[in-house]
Amino acid sequence: MDHAEPAPFRPESVTFVRCTIDLADRTVRLETLRCRSVEDVLGGIGRSLQLLAERTVTDAYSPENPLIVNTGLLTGTAVMTGLRTYFSGYSPLKHSDLGLPAAMWAAGSDKFGARLKWAGIDDVVFENRSATPVCVVFAQGPDGPAVSFEPAGHLLGLDTHQKIMALHREHPDGHFAVIGPGGEHYDSVYMGAVALSTENQLKSGEDKCRFAGRGGMGSLMGYKNLIGLVATGQDRMPSVTPAMRDVNRDLVKPKAGGSTRYQPVRQGGGGGTWANLEVMQAFQAAPENNFRPTGHADVERMFRSNVEQDLEIRSEACYRCGIRCHNNVFSRDPDGGKTFIAKFDYEPLNLLGSNLGIHDGRQTALLVKLADNLGLDAISVAVTVAYVLDYNGRHPDRALFNGATFGQYDAIRELIVMTGEGRLAGIGRGVKRLSRGLGETAYAMHVKGLELPAFLPETNPGYLFAIAGGHMSMQTQMLLAKEGRTTLEQWTEVITRLGLLQVGFDAIGLCKFTGIWISNEVIARAVQAATGLELGAEQLERAVRTIYLRGLALEWRQGYTDAEYTLPPQVFEHPNPAVRLPAFVTRDFVRNLKQRVWEAFGPELEALALPCPPKEPAC
Amino acid sequence: MRIMVKLFASFRTGRFQEKALDVRGEARVREVVAELGLPAPGILLVNERHAGLDDVLHEGDAVHLFPPVGGG
Repeated sequence: MDHAEPAPFRPESVTFVRCTIDLADRTVRLETLRCRSVEDVLGGIGRSLQLLAERTVTDAYSPENPLIVNTGLLTGTAVMTGLRTYFSGYSPLKHSDLGLPAAMWAAGSDKFGARLKWAGIDDVVFENRSATPVCVVFAQGPDGPAVSFEPAGHLLGLDTHQKIMALHREHPDGHFAVIGPGGEHYDSVYMGAVALSTENQLKSGEDKCRFAGRGGMGSLMGYKNLIGLVATGQDRMPSVTPAMRDVNRDLVKPKAGGSTRYQPVRQGGGGGTWANLEVMQAFQAAPENNFRPTGHADVERMFRSNVEQDLEIRSEACYRCGIRCHNNVFSRDPDGGKTFIAKFDYEPLNLLGSNLGIHDGRQTALLVKLADNLGLDAISVAVTVAYVLDYNGRHPDRALFNGATFGQYDAIRELIVMTGEGRLAGIGRGVKRLSRGLGETAYAMHVKGLELPAFLPETNPGYLFAIAGGHMSMQTQMLLAKEGRTTLEQWTEVITRLGLLQVGFDAIGLCKFTGIWISNEVIARAVQAATGLELGAEQLERAVRTIYLRGLALEWRQGYTDAEYTLPPQVFEHPNPAVRLPAFVTRDFVRNLKQRVWEAFGPELEALALPCPPKEPAC
Repeated sequence: MRIMVKLFASFRTGRFQEKALDVRGEARVREVVAELGLPAPGILLVNERHAGLDDVLHEGDAVHLFPPVGGG
């Protein structure tokens, strides 16, 4: 029997379909392109970052800035969690001190991306902007993909859920990606999210959208006058083969590092990301009052066991995902019925709850619902509002806006409503711009212009090296609580090896909840089972590293200097004694960490002919 | 010898929040986890310091056990 080595994988053997749409003249160009690299084969940001690197964009709201909507290699396959859609472009929100927009992306789940792929399209590149509000419809035509345009003026002013349900009535076999009022008011709202329809939403009529929130990709859609995207047609989900069944089992099982941790408690999981709250609070490290834990027990009122006393919680999943990680919150009505309020994940429930001084489950759920309906990125709006509340507490004599301070639910709600309706540009343009305008930046919780997720910056120097969402593009946010790591060697190792691999999920089409602990061998088997491609584990890892490094180099090209790779000054100047985790993140630590990380990446960047990191670390 | 065990999040379900346990001298954390019927913890602390399953326990130690967590 011949045991010859298999031929090395050739990216050129794979093609993808790119649809370029000029919104100004409504021309459509469909091209079948040959992959040039494994990054191309993986898809998602593997392709979009390359395309963005070819553009010179100095203003996010300019015709030169494309909006790229695409999928990954495993989107729409039978691989569990293969449901991702990506939105990439130069961000109106994230920007360097020089004022240049950073390349960004956001990702969301459920069936829109799969439908797009089943229509025969892998990438959509939207160029220019439409003169009038428009929806673009992608259909499965008899001879391939069909693209058409529909007026969207009637959708203006509707919230995200209302837009989706209106489009559902017009296209009963469709799935949808829409903006909310936030994106419509792009000029004063830079943090607009894209809402994606879900099977559950379309069947139940409840506003259970999924969101691609980070970086203002919904605002970029709004600038382009692109109100909604529609992907129609039949499901073409492949059947599950025995090999695929085995892969999916390995993606879930705990011994492979899988997603079981996110299952409901009665299925042996931790109950979704909500469980993080209890863990972080054990260390007094759950954000409270603008990332300043008080050392008190108020946060415990937001523990699931306490919220459940007043509200009904149901564990649900995305379409065809076996991991029921969603914790959907319902009110118990007097007639015995249940009314859906919002979905509780760790970020929104903390940042729109305790971090605003609100420790009430119902009020927090209503704020999550509000941000979702308005199509605002929950993290960015919550963190910017927290800054306002903090500022107003410090300066009662010159309070901002309505004078709201921590815990004032009605006033906080008003701030979010006004932001979503485009009436508070001070909040809508993000915390970096607001704090710099006020000359008070020490407690503005952002890194590189993007608001922080719900993990304290003093516990995560990995934020410096995240190239998109702080906890979505560098997997280090719980490292200190989990493992107690505090040395330069440990942090350099995890940032330059394992942590950055998280961006691979935003290329290949899988949900990050699959987890970076899943070995590349399992992912390679998933690729083989779904596509037949023999992509080796090493090739996969090399490609993901290249994607990350390209994203990092793009930051420097947009004017980021070494000094911008730092944490909010409060971390160094006023360490919080209430936090019961080692206080190791000093200015010296950050300076030395950068030096080591840049040294590790330098040769690889040089080999890829990408810009090298700044030479003079400064903090 | 006697140790104090505190359980967090889903580990508490059907068990307890905090309890004194009598274990044999020089027992390891692993044995306590097994006795309580818990899966491998995501985080374990002994006397508020990160510890391993094979760490040896001593009289009066406080053991904190958390389920695996992640994501955001």
